[in-house]
Amino acid sequence: MKINDLLPSFITRHVLFALIFGGISGIAFILFLIEFDHYTSTEEFCTSCHSMELAAEPYRNSAHYKPKSGVRASCGDCHVSEGVLSATWDHFMGSKDLYKQLFGHDYDDPVINALHLPEAAFEARKWFKKRDSATCKKCHVKVAIYGDRPDTLQIHLEDAKDKTCIECHYNLVHRIIPDEKTFKRDKWNAMIEEEFGLQKGSAKKLLK
Amino acid sequence: MISIRVFFICSLSLFLAHFSMAAKVTLDSSSWGLEEGKSCVECHSKSSSGLTHQWKNSAHAEANVNCLDCHQAYEDDEDSMEHEGSIIAVIVSPKDCGRCHETEFKQQEGSVHAKAVSIIKNRMPALTEHFGSLSINDAGCAKCHGSEVKVKGDGTLDPTTWPNTGIGRINPDGSRGSCSSCHGRHQFSKAQARHPSACTHCHSGPDSPDKIVYETSKHGMMFDAHKDAMNMSNDSWVVGKDYSAAPTCVTCHMGAAGKMKSTHDVGMRDAWNLNQAVSTQQYLAIFEDGDRRELSTSEAIPRRGESIRKMDGSIAKIKAVASPKRRRNAMKKVCLECHSKNFANNAMKQFDNVVELYNEKYGKPAQAIMKALYADKLLTPSPFDEAIEITYWQLWHKGGTRARHGAAMASPSSTWEGLSEVGAVFYGRFLPQVRTIASPEKSEALIKKYVKDSEHHDWMNYPDRVSPVFDHEEQVDNKGSNNEN
Repeated sequence: MKINDLLPSFITRHVLFALIFGGISGIAFILFLIEFDHYTSTEEFCTSCHSMELAAEPYRNSAHYKPKSGVRASCGDCHVSEGVLSATWDHFMGSKDLYKQLFGHDYDDPVINALHLPEAAFEARKWFKKRDSATCKKCHVKVAIYGDRPDTLQIHLEDAKDKTCIECHYNLVHRIIPDEKTFKRDKWNAMIEEEFGLQKGSAKKLLK
Repeated sequence: MISIRVFFICSLSLFLAHFSMAAKVTLDSSSWGLEEGKSCVECHSKSSSGLTHQWKNSAHAEANVNCLDCHQAYEDDEDSMEHEGSIIAVIVSPKDCGRCHETEFKQQEGSVHAKAVSIIKNRMPALTEHFGSLSINDAGCAKCHGSEVKVKGDGTLDPTTWPNTGIGRINPDGSRGSCSSCHGRHQFSKAQARHPSACTHCHSGPDSPDKIVYETSKHGMMFDAHKDAMNMSNDSWVVGKDYSAAPTCVTCHMGAAGKMKSTHDVGMRDAWNLNQAVSTQQYLAIFEDGDRRELSTSEAIPRRGESIRKMDGSIAKIKAVASPKRRRNAMKKVCLECHSKNFANNAMKQFDNVVELYNEKYGKPAQAIMKALYADKLLTPSPFDEAIEITYWQLWHKGGTRARHGAAMASPSSTWEGLSEVGAVFYGRFLPQVRTIASPEKSEALIKKYVKDSEHHDWMNYPDRVSPVFDHEEQVDNKGSNNEN
């Protein structure tokens, strides 16, 4: 008996080859995406750009890098959504950072980096808010936040009932940046100028 | 001429009366109790239960004044921050308190307390940097005098300048002072602020010895024995009407007495400056904008309408001038609630006599000799790098301050101990150090001119005079006649 006899007549040999090849390619592509998402979410990959190394410095002193529990959250654990499609989409959207890294300001320069940091933080916070802090919730469960104080759980269950993590918990990992509403560009510039021993007013020129 | 004088006196009286208006909050209660601030306490009673417990026992809580009423801020405020969806500030400045407590805010704004940073700004570096470092400034000096609060570019408060509740704190909103310096947060209890410890928290120790001075005075003795009869939590606290057991610091320096209402200008009733090398009486110049400045009687007398420099460096027109006598009279009004006029006058006379004695016998001679040593370049201009500079500083700033404050508040032991310390430092260290610094001729000439020629030190010209104070002197028998053996 030929295989052709078992299949409907429109499945020709070519179609069969196409299906098998397409199927394998599809699986391979998904596997590739999983691996790609996984690799591009690692600290190693992210900090292969010097600009990200600057963002990673404070992270390495944070509780997310040095937790009591030993569970370390890497870049992608917080900044990349769960699921192949969402993760791929996040990476696709994130490619604009790569574009900026290549063709934008010199973010590898610590001064330029620090001057542009607030806007990046505001964007990141919006990202978390929009996703209802989904990446936080991969590890943190509201009903299980016992904390060091007896009231910590109670606060999370009662007072933070309708809130999402990022609304209260920002400035946890990276350099402290005020909320967008109270951010004062002039003050930020002055602080960076002082920090790097720059002339007063030079930050404004560097931002152009 | 007379009419101008009458007008002047009337306007000054009106001014002083204005600053002694009843300090009730006149705002409508709809001005507070912000809806958005009602829920803060739900979380904070869990996250910081001590703080909310204090607030729950406060008059603020009773009047429905909630967290946000005091802590609310605008986005543009230098120290504003986002917190749980609201824009708040950690620091509640006198200006913030003044949204409701306007009278008290205006009174304290012009007072010496509010200028506790600017008064010593140029003098402090010598002490903090030579004797300590900036960290002693942050944790010591500035804790009483006040810090210049710095908000960093990332919106956080510079840890070298905050926490701080110094009385002259320079706040991010530009206002000066800290209400919680005396009114401990978050209960803001009347009784606590009226207690002497509200003041002696800073006014203690050798530089500002008022704690020991008050405690060893009759007033302090009476307070200690009758604390429970002080009616300290009462709304109204007029001496002679609401209490009479004893006067506290607040009673004399700020308190209501008879028709005179209370004031938050804490130095207003002080005629003397008692914390300088040489004490002088002081005028109080009141500027058109309500700000005030003290001017020594050794300087040109300030006149109404004249423009002079304010403490912040700007030039402003004087609206009224209170003479030292007028300031003294305000203080005396408190005395008269318990004492006769003669009693009060005589007590003041005894006080003035000690200040003048200190000035003439020690303060002025020591100051003149120091000036001469500097003029002859026998000392470097840098303070505290020569032993005599430390001696001089201890003379007026430690013993001298204690003696004068002791006399001001009728503490016999502080007056004597302070003045005897001045004497011991002056004769035992200061004069011998002068002799080691200047040549024998020069030092002898200086000491003769400023010390030995003065009647106060005339005893020094009689080295052979015998006294039984030391054991090796001649024995005196029981009948008081010299023993001849």
